[in-house]
Amino acid sequence: MLESLFAFVNKIDVASSVWVSSSMGMMLGGWLAAGLTIFMFSFLYKDNPFFKIAEHLYLGAGMGWLFQVSFFSVWMPKIWEPIKSGEDYLVLIPALLGLSLIAQFVPKISWVSRYGFTFVMGYGAGLSIPAELSTNFLAQISGTIVPLFSLGEPCLTGAALWGAFNSFLIFFGLICVLFYFFFSLEHKGAVKKVSNIGIYFLMLYFGAVFGNTVMGRFSLLYGRFDDLYKYSGSNYSYASIIIFFALVTFFVGSHFVDKKKKLKAK
Amino acid sequence: MKLIKRTIPLAMVFIIGITMFLSYYIPHEASQTHYVERMNEWYNIIVAFAFLLGLLSLFFTHYGKIKKKVDGWGYSIFVFIGFLAMVIPAFVSGGDLMIGANLTVLGWAYKSIFNTLQATMFSVLAFYIVSTAFRSFRIKSPQAFILFVAAALLILGKVPVGDLIWTTLLGWTGIEISGIVEWIMSVPAVAARRGILIGVSIGAIIISMKIIFGIERQYMGRD
Repeated sequence: MLESLFAFVNKIDVASSVWVSSSMGMMLGGWLAAGLTIFMFSFLYKDNPFFKIAEHLYLGAGMGWLFQVSFFSVWMPKIWEPIKSGEDYLVLIPALLGLSLIAQFVPKISWVSRYGFTFVMGYGAGLSIPAELSTNFLAQISGTIVPLFSLGEPCLTGAALWGAFNSFLIFFGLICVLFYFFFSLEHKGAVKKVSNIGIYFLMLYFGAVFGNTVMGRFSLLYGRFDDLYKYSGSNYSYASIIIFFALVTFFVGSHFVDKKKKLKAK
Repeated sequence: MKLIKRTIPLAMVFIIGITMFLSYYIPHEASQTHYVERMNEWYNIIVAFAFLLGLLSLFFTHYGKIKKKVDGWGYSIFVFIGFLAMVIPAFVSGGDLMIGANLTVLGWAYKSIFNTLQATMFSVLAFYIVSTAFRSFRIKSPQAFILFVAAALLILGKVPVGDLIWTTLLGWTGIEISGIVEWIMSVPAVAARRGILIGVSIGAIIISMKIIFGIERQYMGRD
């Protein structure tokens, strides 16, 4: 029974992958992608039903994607197969702990979910102490306290002096930033001056991070415009153009309808 | 009942936390490979179920909206449509995105629906970032000026037109904008990032210890 089901699904898989590679599949994909992209961008004009549809679809598709990842990467290979083959029954423990989380939906036995949560919390807490100590604490300090000059190499060259200046600046900046975050002492006098310098370093960092984020978002935007341009071609039956003008027509029409309604109401 | 509801879960946190912590410092295969790998696998399994908890919660919420026909309930249907649009192709293609060089139906759905929506959702933020920047970069103090200069240099340094503007206006200095960007990222930004990371690590260690020793118990909820 199961084998015939798998064979049937396999047949559908082969047939669907042939369809997807066909020009019809490509064109439908293009129309779908162009439509969803334009629906999303329509929010820049105003909140509207098309954006809301795309937004809810995104939520559902995101959950669907994560569900299939969990199913094919965790539930099947890490729980079902070891139990089915009989090679590892210990996976039943995390499976039960995981299932205990679902008890959250039943108020009377919601305390059962604590077992799952406590494992996650204990695991995370135990793992993060050595990880934080070695990578974010000790490694950052050892990376800051470095020799200004290398032994056996000339010190008075431009490159060596520039390197020493940079190393000192990192050390000095770090001390100032730490002073800014040090709240056990009132920030006044010399402490205030040092922590104020720390703010400048922080602002430089935040500015740099902001710049990087902006560029990251813009590169995504170029990608979307590039796709819209691709889907506006004849091999996609001018999908982007048709959908765009259809949406513009809808907005213009709904504007006049709303205006009429307002006038009637008056 | 208190033993089952409270004491055993707290003992679990303590034992798992301490053993995970100690396994890092015990240089033996049983501790650093077998135990940690086993715990990682168990953690992944539980996290997958935690996702299921979120998924069910989302479904209940939207099912409730449809059932009660609250304002905008029609949109909730699209949550289920989106979900099925990814899950049905996934089961048809066995979770594979490609067969050889060809897309499977899951790959097609990923490319046409999920990837498109995700990229567009994040790219829309570019417009809002610009409008936020316009408001937040009004230079009212020297600190705000530094923030503006760093962001402007980073943006200019990453686009060809920025390089062109820099070369035209300040090319005579012999300094390239890419060099300035690299210096900002590798010297002053590193100093600030390290300060933040050290602070975060101290906070994380303290919180972790509070969890292991049962001082922090908020995640357990109320009885």
